[in-house]
Amino acid sequence: MLRKLAYPLFFLLLFPPLQGAAETTPYRDELKESATRLRLPDDRYWHVLLHYKRGLFGTESLVDDRKFFLSPDGKHDPSAELDAAIDGLFADGEEEQTIPRCRFPARYDWLIRRLTVDLTKLPEVSCPTLEKQRQRIDAKSASLIFASGHMNAPASMFGHTFLRFDSSYESPLLSYAVNYAAQIDRRDNGLVYAVKGIFGLYPGYFSILPYYDKVKEYGNMDQRDLWEYRLNLTEEEVQRMVLHVLELQGLYSDYFFFKENCSYDLLFVLEIGAPTATLTDRFRRFTIPIDTVKAVRAEGLISDPVFRPSQARKIRHIASSMDEADIGRARSVLDNTVAPREILAVDIPGAAKGAILDLASEAVQLRYAEGQYTKEEYLRRFLTVLSARSTIPAAESVLTPIPAPGQPESGHESSRVALAVGIREESPFLEVSGRPAYHDLLDADDGFTPGSQIEFSRATVRYYPDSGRFRLQEWDLVHILSLAGRDDFFRPVSWKFRTGFATKPFPGGSDALVFFLNPGGGMAWDIRPLGLAHVLLETEVNVAGRYRPDYTAGVGLSAGILRQMSRSWKILLEARQIFGVLGDEKRGREFSAVLRQGISLDRHHALFVDVGRTVSPGLHYNEAKFSWNIYF
Amino acid sequence: MKRMLGIVALILIFATTSFAAEMGVARTNTGCGLGTMLFEGSANDSSLLQAFQATTNGTSGAQTFGITSGTSECTQPKKFVQNERLNEFVYANLDTLAKDIAQGRGESVQTLAELMQVAPEKREAFYRNLQTHFAEIFPRENVEYAQVVDTIVQLSS
Repeated sequence: MLRKLAYPLFFLLLFPPLQGAAETTPYRDELKESATRLRLPDDRYWHVLLHYKRGLFGTESLVDDRKFFLSPDGKHDPSAELDAAIDGLFADGEEEQTIPRCRFPARYDWLIRRLTVDLTKLPEVSCPTLEKQRQRIDAKSASLIFASGHMNAPASMFGHTFLRFDSSYESPLLSYAVNYAAQIDRRDNGLVYAVKGIFGLYPGYFSILPYYDKVKEYGNMDQRDLWEYRLNLTEEEVQRMVLHVLELQGLYSDYFFFKENCSYDLLFVLEIGAPTATLTDRFRRFTIPIDTVKAVRAEGLISDPVFRPSQARKIRHIASSMDEADIGRARSVLDNTVAPREILAVDIPGAAKGAILDLASEAVQLRYAEGQYTKEEYLRRFLTVLSARSTIPAAESVLTPIPAPGQPESGHESSRVALAVGIREESPFLEVSGRPAYHDLLDADDGFTPGSQIEFSRATVRYYPDSGRFRLQEWDLVHILSLAGRDDFFRPVSWKFRTGFATKPFPGGSDALVFFLNPGGGMAWDIRPLGLAHVLLETEVNVAGRYRPDYTAGVGLSAGILRQMSRSWKILLEARQIFGVLGDEKRGREFSAVLRQGISLDRHHALFVDVGRTVSPGLHYNEAKFSWNIYF
Repeated sequence: MKRMLGIVALILIFATTSFAAEMGVARTNTGCGLGTMLFEGSANDSSLLQAFQATTNGTSGAQTFGITSGTSECTQPKKFVQNERLNEFVYANLDTLAKDIAQGRGESVQTLAELMQVAPEKREAFYRNLQTHFAEIFPRENVEYAQVVDTIVQLSS
């Protein structure tokens, strides 16, 4: 009795009395009692709805915007928030945005179901804006979309995921895409950008845009392939996801580059639709987008994807079907030495003419996107090519389907440990190596960008049984390599960045741990049948007490060939010469040559065989190593 | 002298390879005709910074709940074309549409057919019709989307 009295008193103190409060209070208490009886504050779904996670300092919502909570203690107190939500049932108002039931529709949809709320006992509210948005989105089903890596920015090869609410339209282009991203400040420079990104200083927001806008953004501007995975969810479940996205509208969560990123926050939305799936709890420190796709697959929510190739892949596909002479003709159209109309008069089949003009129109768009043409020049070229193209009937130029590469979720796992045996000169050694993420140049390419490498914190310890020496052989904090072939249509730059610690031998049989920093830039060409040939200008700085003075800095050149021998066998042959120019110039000089081979056995295992020779003043050694790699 | 050259080379290469901030050609074209695609960064940028950007998947500017997109700054199609979704689609996909119309096939013309409620059995003829009239649909470089919609509607009625 006392408790029953205490509640209304409490609310009288906090809020001005609502109209009809006298009648609604008993019902409100009844609902609160049943919420307690049903233990709703501890219900998993309530925690998904509010993005609650148990952390170091107790339960906390990962949403950082105060406006997301109805209770002032809502961020930390699921029970107080639920209490406030029940109070919110009895609120009405003039403005839709201030009515809790309109503002947080997914929350109330669940609460009303769980408490079997008698709606006739509540004030009548209508949410016309919400209804309009829902109708416009018109979600019947949903798809998880994975955007593969950028062909030339290895860090983007972590990929990106977003959702698509598939409407009753046949064309997926007309569906809406839901994306979670950090809102960055364009004025920030790269370093500020990285720091803010890593430490959660950018706010992350959900956005909804037509899917055709996302296709333009990823497929045409960034040249990233899209993979569309239909989710096995009912319309009702998908509708709940829509409501949740709408209630997150305009509210931010701190965006963390490594964990609470684009893919992680999307998992909450998926858990709204599939409450029995464990998704967010699988990711504790890092959320790699492709790993979220694997997790969603492991929960049985998706099957095989639909592949949507990027414009770059389309261009390469058209070119691969043409002979040299026709590619030359397309180039002449681009160089303005042949008018598009003149192609029509050439004595070749209609299909070949179509391919020449298609290649030309795609390339014109690409060059415009790269800023090589002014808008006027682009329009003139684009329309003259297309108007010539429009005279070739579709029936005459049959389009061959673009072959899809290996499905991204079928690729190797990102973490890797390796056990190795090897020999340096006369001394045998044993090695253990591990890296949390992500892809080595010699790892199998399925699902990754060929010619790229990005590894974080790969550490290797080595033991020489002969001498009993035990060494931290290498600790690569970051090792990124991007080898992107240049051709008639694409002119990317290849580059590398590597920094970390390594044990280097010094004359006289001793060794020392050295800090190194090694960036480089150059070019690569896909030379058939040789492989991907590359040349990079490199600089290297080494710091250690053993140098006289304490460091050495040098410049040099590296060149090599990467060849895919079969689907599961890769070879890298590389030579590198660095000349010391600053500090301990003599010790800075180093030549090395390596032959590396990677043989992938399945998604979880691979064998590597490396042989190499290193020469520096007063020192030279050969090394061979055989390693067993396990991906997990 | 040789040493000086070496040092200069070292600094130059180091600076360009590790800290080169080649930000993309950030241009935001707005307009109602062809060539008004939105560009933020271009495909061939490559630098560590670009790499970081791509990973964070950042977007700048106001976050969009672009459930309805604006075509309001443009001339609107004639009165009898009151199909909001059609107008928005053509407005946002004009370049791709031009390409697909010229080829007589493609996802964007399929979408167009669906939005104009062209019966499935009549779609092949619809695509052919648009292709043969390419020059009328895109008569000049500065053609605006409203005119494209009007011409297409006229051609298929």
